[in-house]
Amino acid sequence: MSATPCTSGRWQGNSLSDMRRRMVDRVATGLCWAATVLVLLMLFSILFVLVRNGVGGLRWITFVHVTLPPGQGGGLANAIMGSLIQTGLAVLIGAPVGLLVGIYLAEFTATDGRFINLVRFISDLLLSAPSILVGLFIYMIVVVPTGHFSGMAGALALSMLVVPVVVRTTEDMLRLVPLSMREAAIALGAPRWRVILFVCLRAARDGVATGILLALARVSGETAPLLFTSLGNMNWSVSPAAPMASLPVTIYQYAGAAYEDWTALAWTGALLITAGILMINITVRLGLGRNRK
Amino acid sequence: MTVAEKQPVPAAISVRNLDFYYGANHALKNISIDFPQGQVTGMIGPSGCGKSTLLRVLNRMYDLYPGQRATGEVIFDGCNILGPRVNLNVLRARVGMVFQKPTPFPMSIYDNIAFGVRLHERLDRAAIEARVEDVLKRVALWSEVRDRLHDSASALSGGQQQRLCIARTIATRPEVVLLDEPTSALDPVSTARIEELLDELKADFTIAIVTHNLQQAARCADQVAFFYMGEVVEVDSADRMFTAPRENRTQDYITGRFG
Repeated sequence: MSATPCTSGRWQGNSLSDMRRRMVDRVATGLCWAATVLVLLMLFSILFVLVRNGVGGLRWITFVHVTLPPGQGGGLANAIMGSLIQTGLAVLIGAPVGLLVGIYLAEFTATDGRFINLVRFISDLLLSAPSILVGLFIYMIVVVPTGHFSGMAGALALSMLVVPVVVRTTEDMLRLVPLSMREAAIALGAPRWRVILFVCLRAARDGVATGILLALARVSGETAPLLFTSLGNMNWSVSPAAPMASLPVTIYQYAGAAYEDWTALAWTGALLITAGILMINITVRLGLGRNRK
Repeated sequence: MTVAEKQPVPAAISVRNLDFYYGANHALKNISIDFPQGQVTGMIGPSGCGKSTLLRVLNRMYDLYPGQRATGEVIFDGCNILGPRVNLNVLRARVGMVFQKPTPFPMSIYDNIAFGVRLHERLDRAAIEARVEDVLKRVALWSEVRDRLHDSASALSGGQQQRLCIARTIATRPEVVLLDEPTSALDPVSTARIEELLDELKADFTIAIVTHNLQQAARCADQVAFFYMGEVVEVDSADRMFTAPRENRTQDYITGRFG
Protein backbone atom coordinates (compact mmCIF):
# COMPACT_ATOMS: atom_id res chain seq x y z
CA MET A 1 0.00 0.00 0.00
CA SER A 2 1.46 3.34 -1.00
CA ALA A 3 0.72 6.65 0.70
CA THR A 4 -0.31 9.74 -1.24
CA PRO A 5 2.41 12.40 -1.69
CA CYS A 6 2.45 14.85 1.17
CA THR A 7 1.78 17.97 -0.88
CA SER A 8 -1.94 18.59 -0.47
CA GLY A 9 -4.27 19.69 2.29
CA ARG A 10 -2.60 20.43 5.61
CA TRP A 11 0.77 19.36 4.22
CA GLN A 12 0.82 22.29 1.83
CA GLY A 13 1.59 25.08 4.32
CA ASN A 14 1.78 28.74 3.42
CA SER A 15 3.31 28.60 -0.04
CA LEU A 16 4.33 32.28 -0.26
CA SER A 17 6.35 32.38 2.97
CA ASP A 18 7.60 28.96 2.04
CA MET A 19 9.10 30.30 -1.19
CA ARG A 20 10.61 33.27 0.56
CA ARG A 21 12.16 31.00 3.16
CA ARG A 22 13.71 28.83 0.48
CA MET A 23 15.09 31.88 -1.30
CA VAL A 24 16.67 33.28 1.84
CA ASP A 25 18.10 29.86 2.58
CA ARG A 26 19.66 29.61 -0.88
CA VAL A 27 21.16 33.09 -0.75
CA ALA A 28 22.60 32.57 2.73
CA THR A 29 24.03 29.17 1.81
CA GLY A 30 25.52 30.68 -1.35
CA LEU A 31 27.20 33.45 0.61
CA CYS A 32 28.68 30.94 3.04
CA TRP A 33 30.08 28.94 0.18
CA ALA A 34 31.51 32.01 -1.52
CA ALA A 35 33.22 33.16 1.67
CA THR A 36 34.67 29.71 2.27
CA VAL A 37 36.00 29.46 -1.26
CA LEU A 38 37.53 32.94 -1.00
CA VAL A 39 39.39 32.07 2.19
CA LEU A 40 40.59 28.73 0.84
CA LEU A 41 41.68 30.43 -2.37
CA MET A 42 43.79 32.93 -0.44
CA LEU A 43 45.33 30.22 1.70
CA PHE A 44 46.17 27.98 -1.20
CA SER A 45 47.50 30.79 -3.36
CA ILE A 46 49.89 31.69 -0.53
CA LEU A 47 50.95 28.07 -0.21
CA PHE A 48 51.28 27.78 -3.98
CA VAL A 49 53.51 30.83 -4.29
CA LEU A 50 55.58 29.70 -1.32
CA VAL A 51 56.14 26.25 -2.74
CA ARG A 52 56.82 27.52 -6.27
CA ASN A 53 59.43 30.00 -5.13
CA GLY A 54 60.81 28.14 -2.15
CA VAL A 55 61.03 24.54 -3.25
CA GLY A 56 64.09 25.24 -5.39
CA GLY A 57 66.05 26.10 -2.25
CA LEU A 58 65.27 22.84 -0.51
CA ARG A 59 68.72 21.50 -1.17
CA TRP A 60 71.13 19.78 1.16
CA ILE A 61 73.34 22.82 1.33
CA THR A 62 70.50 24.99 2.66
CA PHE A 63 70.32 22.86 5.76
CA VAL A 64 74.03 22.37 6.38
CA HIS A 65 75.59 25.67 5.35
CA VAL A 66 75.37 29.01 7.12
CA THR A 67 74.29 32.23 5.49
CA LEU A 68 76.95 33.83 3.28
CA PRO A 69 77.42 37.22 1.63
CA PRO A 70 75.48 37.68 -1.61
CA GLY A 71 76.75 35.79 -4.63
CA GLN A 72 78.53 33.11 -2.62
CA GLY A 73 75.65 30.66 -2.19
CA GLY A 74 75.29 29.44 1.37
CA GLY A 75 72.34 28.13 3.28
CA LEU A 76 70.14 28.75 6.29
CA ALA A 77 71.63 26.33 8.83
CA ASN A 78 72.39 29.04 11.40
CA ALA A 79 68.92 30.57 11.00
CA ILE A 80 67.15 27.22 11.33
CA MET A 81 69.18 26.30 14.40
CA GLY A 82 68.68 29.77 15.88
CA SER A 83 64.92 29.56 15.41
CA LEU A 84 64.79 26.13 17.01
CA ILE A 85 66.84 27.28 20.01
CA GLN A 86 64.97 30.53 20.54
CA THR A 87 61.45 29.15 20.15
CA GLY A 88 62.42 26.14 22.25
CA LEU A 89 63.78 28.32 25.04
CA ALA A 90 60.78 30.63 24.75
CA VAL A 91 58.38 27.74 25.32
CA LEU A 92 60.53 26.33 28.13
CA ILE A 93 60.43 29.70 29.88
CA GLY A 94 56.95 30.86 28.95
CA ALA A 95 54.88 27.68 29.18
CA PRO A 96 55.49 26.95 32.90
CA VAL A 97 54.73 30.56 33.80
CA GLY A 98 51.59 30.54 31.66
CA LEU A 99 50.56 27.20 33.11
CA LEU A 100 50.86 28.43 36.68
CA VAL A 101 49.00 31.66 35.97
CA GLY A 102 46.27 29.74 34.12
CA ILE A 103 45.90 27.38 37.08
CA TYR A 104 45.72 30.35 39.42
CA LEU A 105 43.00 32.03 37.36
CA ALA A 106 40.91 28.89 37.01
CA GLU A 107 41.33 27.21 40.37
CA PHE A 108 41.74 29.94 42.94
CA THR A 109 38.44 31.64 42.28
CA ALA A 110 37.68 31.86 45.98
CA THR A 111 40.42 34.45 46.45
CA ASP A 112 39.88 38.13 45.73
CA GLY A 113 37.92 38.35 42.51
CA ARG A 114 39.18 41.81 41.62
CA PHE A 115 42.80 40.72 41.63
CA ILE A 116 41.99 37.69 39.49
CA ASN A 117 40.15 39.88 37.00
CA LEU A 118 43.09 42.26 36.90
CA VAL A 119 45.54 39.43 36.18
CA ARG A 120 43.26 38.09 33.46
CA PHE A 121 42.90 41.55 31.96
CA ILE A 122 46.65 42.08 31.84
CA SER A 123 47.20 38.67 30.33
CA ASP A 124 44.62 39.38 27.64
CA LEU A 125 46.25 42.75 27.02
CA LEU A 126 49.57 41.01 26.48
CA LEU A 127 47.85 38.62 24.09
CA SER A 128 46.98 41.50 21.81
CA ALA A 129 50.05 43.66 22.45
CA PRO A 130 52.02 44.58 19.30
CA SER A 131 54.93 42.18 19.32
CA ILE A 132 57.41 44.92 18.39
CA LEU A 133 56.67 46.56 21.74
CA VAL A 134 57.55 43.32 23.47
CA GLY A 135 60.82 43.34 21.55
CA LEU A 136 61.55 46.92 22.58
CA PHE A 137 60.71 46.11 26.19
CA ILE A 138 63.21 43.25 26.29
CA TYR A 139 65.70 45.50 24.48
CA MET A 140 65.38 47.98 27.33
CA ILE A 141 65.60 45.53 30.21
CA VAL A 142 68.00 42.93 28.79
CA VAL A 143 69.94 44.16 25.78
CA VAL A 144 70.77 47.62 27.13
CA PRO A 145 71.97 46.48 30.57
CA THR A 146 74.01 43.56 29.15
CA GLY A 147 75.36 45.75 26.38
CA HIS A 148 74.80 43.31 23.53
CA PHE A 149 72.14 41.48 21.57
CA SER A 150 71.67 37.82 22.43
CA GLY A 151 69.71 34.71 21.62
CA MET A 152 68.53 34.69 25.23
CA ALA A 153 67.02 38.14 24.84
CA GLY A 154 65.22 36.88 21.74
CA ALA A 155 63.93 33.86 23.61
CA LEU A 156 62.73 36.07 26.46
CA ALA A 157 60.88 38.33 24.05
CA LEU A 158 59.20 35.32 22.44
CA SER A 159 58.40 33.83 25.84
CA MET A 160 56.42 36.96 26.67
CA LEU A 161 54.19 36.08 23.74
CA VAL A 162 53.97 32.44 24.81
CA VAL A 163 52.74 33.27 28.31
CA PRO A 164 49.37 34.86 27.51
CA VAL A 165 48.45 32.17 24.97
CA VAL A 166 49.19 29.43 27.48
CA VAL A 167 47.40 31.32 30.26
CA ARG A 168 44.25 31.61 28.20
CA THR A 169 44.11 28.03 26.97
CA THR A 170 45.05 26.60 30.37
CA GLU A 171 42.37 28.60 32.13
CA ASP A 172 39.74 27.77 29.52
CA MET A 173 40.56 24.08 29.58
CA LEU A 174 40.56 23.88 33.38
CA ARG A 175 37.21 25.64 33.49
CA LEU A 176 35.80 22.88 31.31
CA VAL A 177 36.57 20.37 34.05
CA PRO A 178 33.24 19.92 35.81
CA LEU A 179 32.93 21.16 39.38
CA SER A 180 31.53 17.76 40.31
CA MET A 181 34.88 16.15 39.52
CA ARG A 182 36.70 18.56 41.81
CA GLU A 183 34.16 17.96 44.55
CA ALA A 184 34.48 14.20 44.13
CA ALA A 185 38.24 14.41 44.62
CA ILE A 186 37.91 16.74 47.59
CA ALA A 187 35.28 14.44 49.10
CA LEU A 188 37.92 11.70 49.17
CA GLY A 189 40.01 13.91 51.41
CA ALA A 190 42.45 15.03 48.73
CA PRO A 191 44.31 18.27 49.43
CA ARG A 192 43.80 20.98 46.87
CA TRP A 193 47.18 20.71 45.14
CA ARG A 194 46.57 17.04 44.49
CA VAL A 195 43.10 17.75 43.14
CA ILE A 196 44.51 20.33 40.75
CA LEU A 197 47.56 18.35 39.70
CA PHE A 198 46.21 14.83 39.46
CA VAL A 199 42.56 15.33 38.63
CA CYS A 200 41.92 18.72 37.01
CA LEU A 201 45.12 19.06 35.01
CA ARG A 202 44.86 15.43 34.01
CA ALA A 203 41.35 15.96 32.72
CA ALA A 204 42.48 19.07 30.84
CA ARG A 205 45.77 17.57 29.68
CA ASP A 206 45.11 17.47 25.95
CA GLY A 207 43.72 20.97 25.82
CA VAL A 208 46.62 22.38 27.82
CA ALA A 209 49.16 20.61 25.59
CA THR A 210 47.35 21.99 22.56
CA GLY A 211 47.66 25.49 23.97
CA ILE A 212 51.42 25.10 24.39
CA LEU A 213 51.80 23.83 20.83
CA LEU A 214 49.69 26.68 19.49
CA ALA A 215 51.89 29.14 21.39
CA LEU A 216 54.93 27.50 19.83
CA ALA A 217 53.36 27.87 16.39
CA ARG A 218 52.53 31.49 17.07
CA VAL A 219 56.03 32.56 18.11
CA SER A 220 57.91 30.55 15.50
CA GLY A 221 56.92 33.07 12.85
CA GLU A 222 57.51 36.21 14.92
CA THR A 223 60.03 38.68 13.51
CA ALA A 224 59.47 41.96 15.32
CA PRO A 225 60.36 40.78 18.85
CA LEU A 226 63.67 39.42 17.54
CA LEU A 227 64.84 42.50 15.64
CA PHE A 228 65.93 44.35 18.77
CA THR A 229 66.85 41.35 20.85
CA SER A 230 68.70 38.54 19.07
CA LEU A 231 69.45 40.76 16.05
CA GLY A 232 70.65 38.00 13.74
CA ASN A 233 74.00 36.41 13.09
CA MET A 234 75.65 35.57 9.79
CA ASN A 235 77.75 32.88 11.43
CA TRP A 236 77.02 29.57 13.08
CA SER A 237 76.33 30.26 16.75
CA VAL A 238 74.38 28.21 19.24
CA SER A 239 75.27 30.27 22.30
CA PRO A 240 72.23 32.05 23.77
CA ALA A 241 74.65 34.68 25.11
CA ALA A 242 75.60 35.82 21.61
CA PRO A 243 73.51 37.39 18.88
CA MET A 244 71.60 34.63 17.15
CA ALA A 245 70.20 34.14 13.69
CA SER A 246 66.58 33.13 13.15
CA LEU A 247 64.45 32.27 10.16
CA PRO A 248 62.01 35.18 10.39
CA VAL A 249 64.74 37.81 10.76
CA THR A 250 66.77 36.23 7.95
CA ILE A 251 63.69 36.29 5.74
CA TYR A 252 63.13 39.91 6.67
CA GLN A 253 66.70 40.82 5.71
CA TYR A 254 66.95 38.65 2.61
CA ALA A 255 63.54 39.33 1.13
CA GLY A 256 64.23 43.05 0.90
CA ALA A 257 67.69 42.57 -0.57
CA ALA A 258 68.51 43.15 -4.24
CA TYR A 259 70.42 39.87 -4.62
CA GLU A 260 68.65 37.05 -6.35
CA ASP A 261 70.21 34.22 -4.32
CA TRP A 262 69.22 35.96 -1.09
CA THR A 263 65.63 36.39 -2.25
CA ALA A 264 65.49 32.71 -3.18
CA LEU A 265 66.73 31.71 0.27
CA ALA A 266 64.14 34.01 1.86
CA TRP A 267 61.42 32.10 -0.01
CA THR A 268 62.84 28.81 1.15
CA GLY A 269 62.97 30.07 4.75
CA ALA A 270 59.34 31.16 4.52
CA LEU A 271 58.41 27.74 3.18
CA LEU A 272 60.26 26.05 6.05
CA ILE A 273 58.47 28.11 8.71
CA THR A 274 55.10 27.50 7.10
CA ALA A 275 55.76 23.78 6.86
CA GLY A 276 56.85 23.75 10.51
CA ILE A 277 53.72 25.53 11.70
CA LEU A 278 51.57 23.30 9.52
CA MET A 279 53.18 20.28 11.10
CA ILE A 280 52.53 21.59 14.61
CA ASN A 281 48.91 22.21 13.73
CA ILE A 282 48.50 18.75 12.25
CA THR A 283 50.03 17.28 15.41
CA VAL A 284 47.50 19.22 17.48
CA ARG A 285 44.64 17.98 15.30
CA LEU A 286 45.79 14.37 15.48
CA GLY A 287 46.21 14.64 19.24
CA LEU A 288 42.68 15.97 19.68
CA GLY A 289 41.27 13.41 17.27
CA ARG A 290 42.82 10.58 19.22
CA ASN A 291 41.38 11.99 22.41
CA ARG A 292 37.85 12.09 21.06
CA LYS A 293 37.75 8.37 20.37
CA MET B 1 11.37 14.06 69.61
CA THR B 2 14.39 12.37 68.13
CA VAL B 3 14.40 8.71 67.38
CA ALA B 4 17.60 8.34 69.30
CA GLU B 5 15.70 8.02 72.54
CA LYS B 6 13.89 4.98 71.24
CA GLN B 7 16.93 3.66 69.39
CA PRO B 8 19.19 1.29 71.20
CA VAL B 9 21.77 1.84 68.45
CA PRO B 10 24.30 4.58 69.23
CA ALA B 11 24.53 7.46 66.77
CA ALA B 12 27.52 7.66 64.44
CA ILE B 13 26.73 11.29 63.80
CA SER B 14 24.57 13.56 65.92
CA VAL B 15 23.36 16.84 64.50
CA ARG B 16 22.28 19.34 67.14
CA ASN B 17 20.57 22.66 66.49
CA LEU B 18 22.14 23.09 63.11
CA ASP B 19 21.49 26.25 61.10
CA PHE B 20 22.88 26.70 57.62
CA TYR B 21 23.11 29.77 55.43
CA TYR B 22 23.83 30.30 51.74
CA GLY B 23 24.75 33.94 52.13
CA ALA B 24 21.54 35.47 53.49
CA ASN B 25 19.43 32.45 52.60
CA HIS B 26 18.60 30.46 55.73
CA ALA B 27 18.60 26.95 54.27
CA LEU B 28 18.54 24.74 57.36
CA LYS B 29 16.61 25.84 60.43
CA ASN B 30 17.57 24.47 63.80
CA ILE B 31 17.94 20.88 62.70
CA SER B 32 18.59 18.01 65.08
CA ILE B 33 18.91 14.45 63.86
CA ASP B 34 20.87 11.31 64.68
CA PHE B 35 22.40 8.92 62.21
CA PRO B 36 22.43 5.54 63.99
CA GLN B 37 25.54 3.44 63.56
CA GLY B 38 25.37 0.73 60.91
CA GLN B 39 21.99 1.83 59.66
CA VAL B 40 20.73 3.46 56.52
CA THR B 41 19.12 6.83 57.04
CA GLY B 42 17.00 7.93 54.10
CA MET B 43 16.40 11.64 53.61
CA ILE B 44 13.34 12.62 51.63
CA GLY B 45 11.52 15.83 50.85
CA PRO B 46 10.77 18.17 47.96
CA SER B 47 13.57 19.85 45.98
CA GLY B 48 15.27 22.66 47.83
CA CYS B 49 14.19 21.45 51.26
CA GLY B 50 17.73 21.11 52.56
CA LYS B 51 18.47 17.37 52.34
CA SER B 52 21.55 17.74 50.17
CA THR B 53 22.62 20.77 52.16
CA LEU B 54 22.66 18.70 55.34
CA LEU B 55 24.68 16.02 53.56
CA ARG B 56 27.23 18.62 52.50
CA VAL B 57 27.53 19.80 56.09
CA LEU B 58 28.39 16.32 57.32
CA ASN B 59 31.69 16.25 55.37
CA ARG B 60 32.04 20.04 55.37
CA MET B 61 31.86 20.19 51.60
CA TYR B 62 30.30 23.63 51.96
CA ASP B 63 33.68 24.91 53.15
CA LEU B 64 34.75 25.18 49.52
CA TYR B 65 32.37 28.02 48.94
CA PRO B 66 32.74 31.38 50.60
CA GLY B 67 29.44 32.72 51.86
CA GLN B 68 28.18 29.35 53.04
CA ARG B 69 28.25 28.81 56.79
CA ALA B 70 26.87 26.54 59.45
CA THR B 71 26.19 27.08 63.14
CA GLY B 72 25.26 24.51 65.75
CA GLU B 73 26.87 21.17 66.43
CA VAL B 74 27.62 18.07 64.41
CA ILE B 75 29.11 15.47 66.72
CA PHE B 76 31.15 12.77 65.05
CA ASP B 77 33.38 10.51 67.12
CA GLY B 78 33.01 12.76 70.12
CA CYS B 79 34.09 15.89 68.30
CA ASN B 80 32.16 18.83 66.89
CA ILE B 81 33.22 18.77 63.24
CA LEU B 82 31.97 22.32 62.71
CA GLY B 83 34.73 23.45 65.03
CA PRO B 84 37.68 25.44 63.76
CA ARG B 85 40.50 22.94 64.19
CA VAL B 86 39.14 19.99 62.27
CA ASN B 87 41.46 18.42 59.69
CA LEU B 88 39.09 18.44 56.74
CA ASN B 89 41.04 15.93 54.69
CA VAL B 90 40.88 13.42 57.53
CA LEU B 91 37.20 14.18 58.10
CA ARG B 92 36.44 13.57 54.44
CA ALA B 93 38.33 10.30 54.50
CA ARG B 94 36.23 9.20 57.49
CA VAL B 95 32.97 10.55 56.06
CA GLY B 96 32.90 9.61 52.40
CA MET B 97 30.52 10.93 49.77
CA VAL B 98 28.99 9.64 46.55
CA PHE B 99 27.40 12.13 44.20
CA GLN B 100 24.34 12.21 42.01
CA LYS B 101 26.21 12.00 38.74
CA PRO B 102 28.96 9.40 38.49
CA THR B 103 32.27 11.27 38.50
CA PRO B 104 35.06 8.91 37.46
CA PHE B 105 38.43 10.63 37.42
CA PRO B 106 40.23 10.85 34.06
CA MET B 107 42.41 7.85 34.82
CA SER B 108 42.22 4.07 34.80
CA ILE B 109 39.72 2.07 36.83
CA TYR B 110 42.56 0.93 39.06
CA ASP B 111 43.94 4.43 39.60
CA ASN B 112 40.48 5.79 40.38
CA ILE B 113 40.46 3.62 43.47
CA ALA B 114 44.17 3.80 44.26
CA PHE B 115 44.04 7.62 44.16
CA GLY B 116 42.00 7.85 47.35
CA VAL B 117 43.82 5.01 49.09
CA ARG B 118 47.23 6.56 48.47
CA LEU B 119 46.05 9.84 49.97
CA HIS B 120 45.64 8.38 53.41
CA GLU B 121 47.69 5.22 53.67
CA ARG B 122 51.20 4.19 52.79
CA LEU B 123 50.71 0.81 51.24
CA ASP B 124 52.93 -1.23 48.98
CA ARG B 125 51.80 -2.19 45.52
CA ALA B 126 50.47 -5.58 46.50
CA ALA B 127 48.37 -4.13 49.32
CA ILE B 128 46.85 -1.53 47.02
CA GLU B 129 46.09 -4.19 44.44
CA ALA B 130 44.42 -6.27 47.13
CA ARG B 131 42.39 -3.26 48.26
CA VAL B 132 41.29 -2.50 44.71
CA GLU B 133 40.19 -6.09 44.18
CA ASP B 134 38.41 -6.18 47.52
CA VAL B 135 36.33 -3.05 46.99
CA LEU B 136 35.53 -3.91 43.39
CA LYS B 137 34.23 -7.27 44.58
CA ARG B 138 32.15 -5.58 47.24
CA VAL B 139 30.42 -3.38 44.68
CA ALA B 140 30.01 -6.40 42.36
CA LEU B 141 32.12 -4.83 39.66
CA TRP B 142 35.15 -7.10 39.81
CA SER B 143 33.91 -9.73 37.36
CA GLU B 144 33.04 -7.01 34.85
CA VAL B 145 36.31 -5.09 34.97
CA ARG B 146 39.01 -7.52 36.16
CA ASP B 147 40.46 -7.77 32.67
CA ARG B 148 40.56 -4.04 32.03
CA LEU B 149 41.62 -2.52 35.31
CA HIS B 150 44.08 -0.29 33.52
CA ASP B 151 41.63 0.97 30.92
CA SER B 152 40.04 4.37 31.24
CA ALA B 153 37.18 4.50 33.74
CA SER B 154 35.14 6.74 31.46
CA ALA B 155 34.52 3.80 29.12
CA LEU B 156 32.31 2.17 31.76
CA SER B 157 28.53 2.45 31.63
CA GLY B 158 26.75 4.91 33.94
CA GLY B 159 25.76 2.22 36.43
CA GLN B 160 29.26 0.76 36.44
CA GLN B 161 30.74 4.21 36.91
CA GLN B 162 28.54 4.83 39.91
CA ARG B 163 29.53 1.49 41.45
CA LEU B 164 33.14 2.44 40.80
CA CYS B 165 32.55 5.73 42.62
CA ILE B 166 31.10 3.83 45.59
CA ALA B 167 34.09 1.48 45.51
CA ARG B 168 36.41 4.48 45.43
CA THR B 169 34.65 5.97 48.45
CA ILE B 170 34.70 2.82 50.58
CA ALA B 171 38.30 2.11 49.60
CA THR B 172 39.49 4.79 52.01
CA ARG B 173 37.62 2.86 54.75
CA PRO B 174 35.30 5.61 55.93
CA GLU B 175 32.98 5.14 58.89
CA VAL B 176 30.12 7.03 57.28
CA VAL B 177 29.08 7.06 53.63
CA LEU B 178 26.93 9.91 52.33
CA LEU B 179 25.02 9.33 49.11
CA ASP B 180 23.41 12.26 47.31
CA GLU B 181 20.71 10.83 45.03
CA PRO B 182 23.14 8.15 43.84
CA THR B 183 20.69 6.47 41.45
CA SER B 184 18.76 9.37 39.96
CA ALA B 185 20.90 9.29 36.80
CA LEU B 186 20.73 5.51 36.44
CA ASP B 187 18.38 3.02 34.78
CA PRO B 188 16.20 0.71 36.93
CA VAL B 189 18.53 -2.29 36.67
CA SER B 190 21.58 -0.30 37.78
CA THR B 191 19.45 1.28 40.50
CA ALA B 192 18.42 -2.12 41.83
CA ARG B 193 22.05 -3.24 41.97
CA ILE B 194 23.05 -0.17 43.95
CA GLU B 195 20.17 -0.67 46.35
CA GLU B 196 21.27 -4.26 46.96
CA LEU B 197 24.75 -2.97 47.50
CA LEU B 198 23.58 -0.51 50.18
CA ASP B 199 22.06 -3.40 52.08
CA GLU B 200 25.42 -5.16 52.20
CA LEU B 201 27.42 -2.05 52.96
CA LYS B 202 25.49 -1.08 56.05
CA ALA B 203 27.15 -3.95 57.88
CA ASP B 204 30.35 -1.90 57.84
CA PHE B 205 29.28 1.68 57.31
CA THR B 206 26.75 4.14 58.57
CA ILE B 207 24.87 5.34 55.52
CA ALA B 208 22.97 8.54 54.82
CA ILE B 209 21.17 8.66 51.50
CA VAL B 210 19.27 11.52 49.93
CA THR B 211 16.65 10.33 47.50
CA HIS B 212 13.66 11.62 45.58
CA ASN B 213 12.46 8.09 45.13
CA LEU B 214 10.16 7.26 48.04
CA GLN B 215 10.08 3.57 47.16
CA GLN B 216 13.84 3.60 47.33
CA ALA B 217 13.73 5.14 50.77
CA ALA B 218 11.16 2.54 51.85
CA ARG B 219 13.24 -0.31 50.43
CA CYS B 220 16.68 0.72 51.64
CA ALA B 221 16.35 2.81 54.74
CA ASP B 222 16.06 1.75 58.34
CA GLN B 223 15.25 5.26 59.41
CA VAL B 224 13.70 7.97 57.26
CA ALA B 225 13.79 11.73 57.77
CA PHE B 226 11.33 14.00 56.03
CA PHE B 227 12.64 17.47 55.24
CA TYR B 228 10.47 20.42 54.36
CA MET B 229 11.48 24.07 53.90
CA GLY B 230 14.76 23.64 55.74
CA GLU B 231 13.29 21.79 58.69
CA VAL B 232 13.21 18.17 59.70
CA VAL B 233 9.50 17.55 59.98
CA GLU B 234 9.69 13.95 61.11
CA VAL B 235 12.21 11.20 61.72
CA ASP B 236 11.01 7.67 62.16
CA SER B 237 11.60 4.08 61.12
CA ALA B 238 10.89 3.47 57.46
CA ASP B 239 7.96 1.22 58.37
CA ARG B 240 6.15 3.79 60.43
CA MET B 241 7.03 6.71 58.18
CA PHE B 242 5.35 5.19 55.16
CA THR B 243 2.42 3.57 56.92
CA ALA B 244 1.56 5.84 59.80
CA PRO B 245 3.30 9.21 59.64
CA ARG B 246 2.62 11.46 62.60
CA GLU B 247 2.64 14.74 60.73
CA ASN B 248 0.12 15.86 58.13
CA ARG B 249 2.85 17.36 55.96
CA THR B 250 4.60 14.01 55.81
CA GLN B 251 1.34 12.30 54.96
CA ASP B 252 0.70 14.82 52.16
CA TYR B 253 4.19 14.41 50.73
CA ILE B 254 4.32 10.63 50.70
CA THR B 255 0.88 10.41 49.15
CA GLY B 256 1.97 12.80 46.41
CA ARG B 257 -0.14 15.79 47.31
CA PHE B 258 2.82 18.16 46.99
CA GLY B 259 6.54 18.11 46.34
